[in-house]
Amino acid sequence: MDKFSRRNFLGAGLLLGASSLFAKETTKAIVNKNPEFIPPVVAFPEKKPMKTISDRPPLLASNRGRELFTEAITPNDQFFVRWHLPDMPMYVDLNEFRLEVKGSVNTPLSLSIDDLKSKFEPAEITAVLQCGGNSRKYYAVTGQATHGVQWDHDAMGCAVWKGVRLKDLLTHAGVKDSAKWVGLNGLEKPAMEETPDFFREMEIKEALEDQIIVAYSMNGEDLPYLNGFPLRLVIPGHFSDSWVKMLSEIMIMDEYRPSFFMDVAYTVPDNDCECVISGSDFEYKRKPIAAMKVKSVIGYPLPESAIKKGSRIKIAGVAFDQGKGIKEVMISLDNAKSWSAAKLGEDHGKFAFRPWSYDWEPKIKGEYTIMVRAINRIGNIQPMPDEIGWNAGGYQYNAVDHVNVKIV
Amino acid sequence: MKKKLLLATLLLSTSALFAQVSKPIEMPYVEYPIAAGDHDEVVQQYCLICHSFGYVLNQGKKSRPYWKGTIQKMVNEFKAPIPKEDQQTIINYLVKHYGYETSSEH
Repeated sequence: MDKFSRRNFLGAGLLLGASSLFAKETTKAIVNKNPEFIPPVVAFPEKKPMKTISDRPPLLASNRGRELFTEAITPNDQFFVRWHLPDMPMYVDLNEFRLEVKGSVNTPLSLSIDDLKSKFEPAEITAVLQCGGNSRKYYAVTGQATHGVQWDHDAMGCAVWKGVRLKDLLTHAGVKDSAKWVGLNGLEKPAMEETPDFFREMEIKEALEDQIIVAYSMNGEDLPYLNGFPLRLVIPGHFSDSWVKMLSEIMIMDEYRPSFFMDVAYTVPDNDCECVISGSDFEYKRKPIAAMKVKSVIGYPLPESAIKKGSRIKIAGVAFDQGKGIKEVMISLDNAKSWSAAKLGEDHGKFAFRPWSYDWEPKIKGEYTIMVRAINRIGNIQPMPDEIGWNAGGYQYNAVDHVNVKIV
Repeated sequence: MKKKLLLATLLLSTSALFAQVSKPIEMPYVEYPIAAGDHDEVVQQYCLICHSFGYVLNQGKKSRPYWKGTIQKMVNEFKAPIPKEDQQTIINYLVKHYGYETSSEH
């Protein structure tokens, strides 16, 4: 299999020429007072041009920014991308590809994509895929900037996933009584053998939940290559680091296997608020991030828009949570003094984006801050930005979103 | 100039954009601007083994303790094969070009 290799690409003279032009231009951007680096916009396989935060491993975000989040379903070619390890195969031959189910089972399985499609009952679910570090940059507004890539609200999306229930695979293989854990691993590999592999683990009882599927389809098409073709684990309601891409191995285990990414990397403080004093380092007891928090994002209007006085605009966005379902979305136009209910759009299920909208006819010129706040069916409500608990990794940001506009 | 870059990159990746996954994908290569000097070659030699420089540029400016901790993480957790003296060179480089010395700036 072809692997990622920088050397392969260095041969491309045209590209080298282009990138040195680019280097000259952006060096200026770095030394000026704006500390924010603007990532280049580049088209990747099966993707529209995306903000390229990194090309290796690929970290890509739609160039449309917030605008993407006025609709319940995010298009495949604009769906964000985030890999962890530098070496992923450049080609997956479906004639050879097999999903292995092994370990503490009565009958190990080795299944082709065709097997999965023909021998198991298909299951479909609409669910939000959100990076644990989504919106991380906003921690820096009210506290210290956190570790990690400073994502805006762009490391998320919602799609219709279709595949086979993980439960059905485990039942088919026959899990032994001694088994306690399920380990999930994909085809992405580190550059050096010593680097910890990226895999996820969950307890058997969690793995048997109905809504968890091994997906071969996304929005009615094959999974895009960079979103994990040909198979991806889908854990509705959970952050996306658990949604293993290019899933190739399901290992049933009697014992928990220590995992860098679960035990150390994707973690929050192990206390009730899952928070520490802003600016603390990682010296706290940790637990893996898991269920998402209730959240809403404004998709329209865009920040710093000028809107003509008296025009009728539809403020719009999406809301979601860990799978309890959105109960209410509220809008404030007076800096959180008063809140009015937004209209909820079509319900695509409790794990999906819930679109919302609010008709506004601004009558007075001036500067306005539009705020949005969601509450779910068990009463979880988004914190205000100055109330959100801080963690060094910058995970699970879900404070009230806002957009400043000018009425002219 | 930016338009030129985009066009060139688009042209190069056009085949990949429309390719189905029945053949190997072609990944575009992005050369992120790396500040020159202060032994940037050492930084490139080690950091680029595992990840692009985009990882550095998209974090914003960071303190010396932050970069020191990050290099320690790369060595201790990810097993980056960086000798001690080169670790210090990389930390100094990152603090100078992508960081700051005191916490008063933040």
